[in-house]
Amino acid sequence: MAERADLLQGTLDLLILKTLMLEPLHGWGISKRLRQLSAEVLAVGQGSLYPALYRLEDKGWISAHWGTSPEGRRAKFYTLTRDGRKQFTAERSEWRLFSTAVELVLKAV
Amino acid sequence: MTRWLQRLTRRIRALVHGAALDQELSEEIQLHVRLETEDLIRTQGLDPAEARRQALLAFGGVERYREAQHDARGVRWIEDSLRDLGLAVRVLLRSPGYTVPAVLVLGLGIGATTAVFSGVDTVLGRLPYPKDEQLVRIYEQNSPTNRWTLSVADFQAIAGGAHTLSAVGAARFRRVPVSAGGEPQSIQAGVVTSGFARVLGVQPAFGRRLEPADDALGAPLVVVVSDAFARRVLGGAASALGQSIMIDGRAHTVVGVWPRGLDRLSGIRADVWPALQFTPPTRRGPFGLFVIGRLADGVTLDAGRRELADVSQRLLTQWTSDFQDRNARLTPYSLRQVILGDGARTMGVFVAAVLLVLLIAVANVASLTLVRATGRWRELSLRAALGATRVRLVRLVMIESITLAAAGAAVGLGLGAAGLRLLIAIGPFVPRLDGARLDARAVAFAILVSLVAGIVVGAYPLLLLLRHDPGASLSGGARTVGEGPRSHALRGAFVIGEFALALPLLAVTGLLLNSFLRLQRVPPGFDGERVTTVNVSLPAGRYPDDSALANFWNRLLPTIEQSGNVAAIGLGDALPPIAQQTFNQNNFDLVDHPVGEGASQPVSDWITVTRGYFATLKIPLLDGRLFTPGDTGNAPPVVLVSRTWASHYFPGEQAIGRQLIEGGCNECPRTTIVGVVGDVRYDGLHAPGEAMYAPMEEGNWGRNVHLFVRGQGPGNDALATVRAAVLAADPGVSLDRVQTMADVVGESITAPRHLVTLLAGFAVAAVALAAIGIFGLLSYTVAARHREIGVRMALGADQRAVVRMIVGGGLWYAGIGAAVGLIIALVGTRLLAETLFGVSPTDPATFVAVTLAMLGVALIACWLPARRAAATDPVRALRSDN
Repeated sequence: MAERADLLQGTLDLLILKTLMLEPLHGWGISKRLRQLSAEVLAVGQGSLYPALYRLEDKGWISAHWGTSPEGRRAKFYTLTRDGRKQFTAERSEWRLFSTAVELVLKAV
Repeated sequence: MTRWLQRLTRRIRALVHGAALDQELSEEIQLHVRLETEDLIRTQGLDPAEARRQALLAFGGVERYREAQHDARGVRWIEDSLRDLGLAVRVLLRSPGYTVPAVLVLGLGIGATTAVFSGVDTVLGRLPYPKDEQLVRIYEQNSPTNRWTLSVADFQAIAGGAHTLSAVGAARFRRVPVSAGGEPQSIQAGVVTSGFARVLGVQPAFGRRLEPADDALGAPLVVVVSDAFARRVLGGAASALGQSIMIDGRAHTVVGVWPRGLDRLSGIRADVWPALQFTPPTRRGPFGLFVIGRLADGVTLDAGRRELADVSQRLLTQWTSDFQDRNARLTPYSLRQVILGDGARTMGVFVAAVLLVLLIAVANVASLTLVRATGRWRELSLRAALGATRVRLVRLVMIESITLAAAGAAVGLGLGAAGLRLLIAIGPFVPRLDGARLDARAVAFAILVSLVAGIVVGAYPLLLLLRHDPGASLSGGARTVGEGPRSHALRGAFVIGEFALALPLLAVTGLLLNSFLRLQRVPPGFDGERVTTVNVSLPAGRYPDDSALANFWNRLLPTIEQSGNVAAIGLGDALPPIAQQTFNQNNFDLVDHPVGEGASQPVSDWITVTRGYFATLKIPLLDGRLFTPGDTGNAPPVVLVSRTWASHYFPGEQAIGRQLIEGGCNECPRTTIVGVVGDVRYDGLHAPGEAMYAPMEEGNWGRNVHLFVRGQGPGNDALATVRAAVLAADPGVSLDRVQTMADVVGESITAPRHLVTLLAGFAVAAVALAAIGIFGLLSYTVAARHREIGVRMALGADQRAVVRMIVGGGLWYAGIGAAVGLIIALVGTRLLAETLFGVSPTDPATFVAVTLAMLGVALIACWLPARRAAATDPVRALRSDN
């Protein structure tokens, strides 16, 4: 099992929104997709996943509906809303600014 | 904004569908764990059990996430409160011995208070007219206590010359015969000028209201009728328009129908409102007009009063031949105050009484709660030990009190609705009370009262929680908390307070009862045995003048007198002893003791009667003579006076033969006093019997009179004879309101009887609550001191000593309470001085009786627990562990 990194505070929302850019997913699907995309480095503490999903839904960035999963089970699917897409773009540029800045600091000698 | 709304709906959904959401969440978590397990099996080749273990591990404590999820829903505190509410309901239901009496007692207090509040709110509230603060009623007034109605000359002077008033209207209220084709009925009419409805700003539901053109003498006669009259007599409101009805023998066309429920204008009820047309006045008097006005926008009552005073001055110079009272001024009064009358005082008594009952009720429940709180300390300690924070416990206790109070409010609203109906049914003696409803304001009031009551009731357990740490006391004798001398003293204080509040209420009731019994014993001044009275109205159309009336009565009365079963018959224009009826008053100036130029003349009740009146009612002749057949037509005018009148105006002198000028008519022939008769109480049994009598035969025949008939023997056939004779003479005459004189006397004291009855109800409730309070306290004491009493008895105390000890302790509280109550009562009952008849507000006998009654009730309430204490078996008491 690969080393796993803890998620930086505040990045979870961004990552969830990213995973939902392509298609609606259920909770487990989101955590699986996150692990795949980060090459098993990033693990969502599942305990934070569901409250985060609820929070995002509350803010109107994602919406939820019940459907059938590819495994043939009843599951709650989360879809990105238009507001969510805007929010994702905003948060992504913020993140980029931030990570570039951190990188610059770290590179300095 | 929409976002915020969305969130709000989600919160509400979270609250309402909490269980469903929990269900969804757990389904989601299960799916997650299952998928993770399968994934682990597939990718890492773990066996199912191990895979599931790891999946669960990775997830962490499922419960914790549920809680976190709940927090994310943002409704956690509401959910907790709801859970506490459920707990409170369960806890309260578990101890019905506490809850049921507490809710009932609170409900009783809240219900009574709410009913009285609704009544007060209506009685003291705004009149149902736009800008009612501008409305005034105008009186003639010559001293602070003497005001009367206006004359036509007065009204026309105001209508033409007062600019502070934007509108004025005049009315005459009387019963008149009305027929719409069928039998004439005697109906209350408000004969009004067009300004009357305009002043009030009311509009008919159908047709039009009276217009100024209708006021002109000779204009076609028109009438606006009430909705009830239109339905009852004219076949509906819409079809009433255009119909012709006979009012007082003259045809009137219906031009308007008032909206449903509008059955009175400016506080006076009438079914038909015909137009009032004045003949031009030839002198200042006579008075008799009910006049209202509306102050112009921005004009104060004072400004109106000043202008009307100027108008009064002009009237004096305009009409110099009669009525030269320089003190008499046209004076406006707030219409709301006029309609309210002394209703405010009656309502004040109710409010005071009901507040006392509420306070006693709350004290009672608070005392019950106190006993219970000490017993519950152990439970609260246990909860604290199991991890409940103190904040949580405080919330629990508060929610419990509020739940209790809410239940009390629910019961109270039910009782309040019934109580209000009772309040209305039991007395129309407070103006506008019959319009009171348990409306939204009343409900809000009940909720407010119950909230305050809940806080007071729950205050002690709350204090206990704030003072002591429940967590610390589970181990060490938890029962001692709240059972110390302080809480016992507090319970004692409640009992003292209850007695201190109940005694004044009982005292007030005692005083009013005493006053009522005295009033009932007052001789009315006549012998009503076997006398029946009936109201007779002759239509003005057929009997236009005095000679027509004289013709009718002079033919009829002898016929009836000669029939076998009639002993005597008489007519009069007043019905003794109904208070506040409208009968004549007249001013006069004694030739031997004139009041002087421009001064106010004395005024007296002025009753016009036939010769047979005195014999019919057996009013004794004390001096001089009664009216004779010679006192008719153009004979010199004569009057009789009552004994009190004679001793008032001619103290120690002979009144017979004295002369007076009546009604301020200086040119009229002098009137001579020819006899003195016994006092009759015309204006209520409480009022002195000062009256003057004029003979009806002297050109004073009434169109609307009270007929009195005394039967030869028992039974009502005398009235049947009268009815037959009257209808044989003229079937168009209406006879109504048949009553025996005993009933009339009973009716005259209806208001004080109802006041006493209602207050007695409050007093009984208060005393019963106080008794329950002391009973509860002593029962608790006896139970708590079970062991001590056992020890005392084992050491030789006999049963009598134990009873003495317990009863003595109880009476000590009751005694202190009664003493405090006496002081409150002595101060408070002074406010009743004007309501009481023949009893001083500090009547010693009443106060002694009331105090003894309170102590007697306390004694009985103490006796029962004392008997239980005396029955203690010392051996068993010593063995038990408490």
